[in-house]
Amino acid sequence: MPVDNRRIQGPEVSFPYCLFQQSDGRNKTNSNPSNLLTVRKDGRALLDHRKIYMKTGVVSQAKGSAYVELSNTKVICSVFDPREIPNRVEYSQHGELYCVLKYAPFSCKTRRAHQQDSEEKELSLNLKRALEPAVCRHEFPNFQVDIYVLVLENDGGCLAAAITCAGLALADAHVPMYDLVTAASLGVTGDTMVMDPIEEEERLCSQDVKEGQNHGLVTVALMGAHTQITQVWQTGSMTSTCVSDALSRLIQLCEETYPIAQRCLVKSVVNTISKKSTS
Amino acid sequence: MAGVLLSEAEKTFILHGVQSDLRNDGRSKQDYRPMELELDIVTHANGSARVRLANTDILVGVKTEIDVPKPEKPDEGKIEFFVDCSANATPEFEGKGGEDLATEISNFLSTSFNSGLSFDLKSLCILKEIQCWKLYVDILILECGGNLFDAVSLAVKAALHNTMVPRVETMAMDGGNVDLQLSGDPYDCWRLDIKNVPCLVTLTKIGEHLIVDPTAEEENCSMASLVLAVTEDGRINSLSKTSVGSFHPHTLTEGLKVGTEVGIRLNKALKEALEKEEKRLQADKPERSGFLK
Amino acid sequence: MSNIRIRLASERVNPSLTFGEEGAPQLFTPGETITENQRVMSGHGTYMDEDNKEVLRASVAGTVERVNQLICVRPIKCRYMGEIGDVVVGRITEVQQKRWKVDTNSRLDSVLLISSVNLPGGELRRRSVEDEQMMRKYLQEGDLVSAEVQSVFSDGSLSLHTRSLKYGKLSQGLLVKVSPSLILRRKNHFHNLLCGASIILGNNGLIWIYPTSPEDESGVGGFTQNLEQVIDKEDRERIARLRNCVLALSASKFMLFDTSIQYAYEESSNYSLKELLAPECMLDVAFRTRHRLQSYRDA
Repeated sequence: MPVDNRRIQGPEVSFPYCLFQQSDGRNKTNSNPSNLLTVRKDGRALLDHRKIYMKTGVVSQAKGSAYVELSNTKVICSVFDPREIPNRVEYSQHGELYCVLKYAPFSCKTRRAHQQDSEEKELSLNLKRALEPAVCRHEFPNFQVDIYVLVLENDGGCLAAAITCAGLALADAHVPMYDLVTAASLGVTGDTMVMDPIEEEERLCSQDVKEGQNHGLVTVALMGAHTQITQVWQTGSMTSTCVSDALSRLIQLCEETYPIAQRCLVKSVVNTISKKSTS
Repeated sequence: MAGVLLSEAEKTFILHGVQSDLRNDGRSKQDYRPMELELDIVTHANGSARVRLANTDILVGVKTEIDVPKPEKPDEGKIEFFVDCSANATPEFEGKGGEDLATEISNFLSTSFNSGLSFDLKSLCILKEIQCWKLYVDILILECGGNLFDAVSLAVKAALHNTMVPRVETMAMDGGNVDLQLSGDPYDCWRLDIKNVPCLVTLTKIGEHLIVDPTAEEENCSMASLVLAVTEDGRINSLSKTSVGSFHPHTLTEGLKVGTEVGIRLNKALKEALEKEEKRLQADKPERSGFLK
Repeated sequence: MSNIRIRLASERVNPSLTFGEEGAPQLFTPGETITENQRVMSGHGTYMDEDNKEVLRASVAGTVERVNQLICVRPIKCRYMGEIGDVVVGRITEVQQKRWKVDTNSRLDSVLLISSVNLPGGELRRRSVEDEQMMRKYLQEGDLVSAEVQSVFSDGSLSLHTRSLKYGKLSQGLLVKVSPSLILRRKNHFHNLLCGASIILGNNGLIWIYPTSPEDESGVGGFTQNLEQVIDKEDRERIARLRNCVLALSASKFMLFDTSIQYAYEESSNYSLKELLAPECMLDVAFRTRHRLQSYRDA
């Protein structure tokens, strides 16, 4: 990766101290992964999801914006007006989505750099793929809509939160859409499935277990009204039956989140109307 | 992909062909086009392979270098993928044109290698926390005729199979420094274990049907495709949707089934070809066929 | 479901058929001296040396052809050079005012003027402003047409016309691209082959294979496209087999015309459709076709 020299990046070799903390007695959950799953940190059952909070219109300068909170995962998204695709000679029949997902420097355990790293690029691409099918892209040919997602705090499931948040923000920005998009994630380790994992659980699921055992993470984005999966992203290693099992669970959760997103949008409309009538 | 223009009638013809399980070139939905493989064709690389899948031509070279392990994974080596969509393949890749595609492919590859169950990075460790091997997998797209993901993954797996990592002995530490001793014999090497390295299978949705190994024309007819990384014993090591468009959950579960099945066959075919090629290379002066066609 | 097979590069088959008794023709490379005889005339693919006016050199790689004093070099590989009266298959790339731009695999884009097509409603119909606005309705980007070369402009670009019922927009079928020099010039380039499919051998190297329509001839012309029609599997098999045969012949650089294609189709019956994608089988088909044509000629 080329490094941008114009930006002062601090000393090149500095490590987060947390790496050396593992033997610490207080951090028991980290050292003993099996504990993590018998009792989840926030007291949920294995297949319970976290409470979700959504709000639209949080950034006043943006055309549309939304905020999504999954307990400690906090994501904010703003969408800006369509503009002509820069540096493009050819005419494209469909509009484009330009998605950038960025972690705030202090959002994770380790500090994130200002520049987009490859993980963020991959998440951005996944975000774009998840939203593309939902937007009526033929209605703004040769234009692009900018979607910026900022992860304020990451406690697992941030791609799912980002997709839901961006879907809401697009709707809030009055971009024509076929359907709303909601997303959810699930972790697998061994024979256990963990719905909507927090960061520690995510880390546990990405570590491999014994050979022949399943492990990994699955994220699914769904258009609720059409029952179409707009994005599916799986990492780790699992059998196809395990993947399809995870899929059906995730679809169910996405469908559960769908009415919440709808209600959130309706509420924001009601709010604007009542504000107008009082003024 | 390369700018193919098709008329509505041609698209309909392709669509109906897929529906009746007889594609334009006579293949059924789950057939691959002829493939060709050659190992060890770049002298300066530690391992190399070239795969040609109809009109797609991929050259992969693996270089090994010594690096310091990541502090969070002190007992693991590193592997990195770089994809170069050269403008030789199609003028569209000129400048930054191929960059998006290149990052998509290399990101997907590294995700599918992420799990310890696909590739054992621990074997690349020389001395815990101090030295490890780093594999640079450089992928060159020489010609682009559809179905890049599959061809790239075959070439990568073949190149890794061909890679010779020199044997290194670590000598006593003095003052925290390590002395690495490379064996004098250039043939004193060890091979990587590629048993669980996945092959990528792209499933392209045309109408309500899923096909493998689409031609450029077929890619043009499709809205959505799915890439699966499938290992020899049919495990899915990573899965993602790669193009615009969406899937019905039913199609997706069917895709998982079909994809694993095809993936197992693909891995088997590659294994057979690798064994045969290996035998040929052991001959006295194996002939080299070289690049492209 | 057949097994996937990966072949080795060392098993690669050389697709070229060996030359018969005639031996290989002499090839010239660009810059090579053809003759130092002063009295010859320089034709296509040649140039006179600037310093030494007596020397004639080749500017393309190919074989020399001589007509009296005129010397030409016929390139072995070239883009299509149009001649008036040629049948071509082309793809619309752009809709402009009063004309369509057509990609015909030649050096420059070809044009199809709205005045050189038969619009629905008969030959004598006047072309109105509405017609010009409706151009995209008749032919849009990506559509394929069969046409005839009407004239060649001085820069070498072609003007096409479709003023005959046999020309026009192509409906369902598939396109194969081969080198234009492999298409043998014939009186007729539209064939309903015995095997039950039809073929248009465009002089520009684009070959259109389509199901034979029951009402014959008239099915091709005009601007209709039947998107509802589902071609049955037998027709489709024939078309796919034809495609693979054409590609087999072209891989072995064998001239393409109705008889050679028909023979190749018959000779290919030993192989299944999928096998025809393998290079050995392709070579075998080309070889047998050549053999059969030769024995027919000798007899």
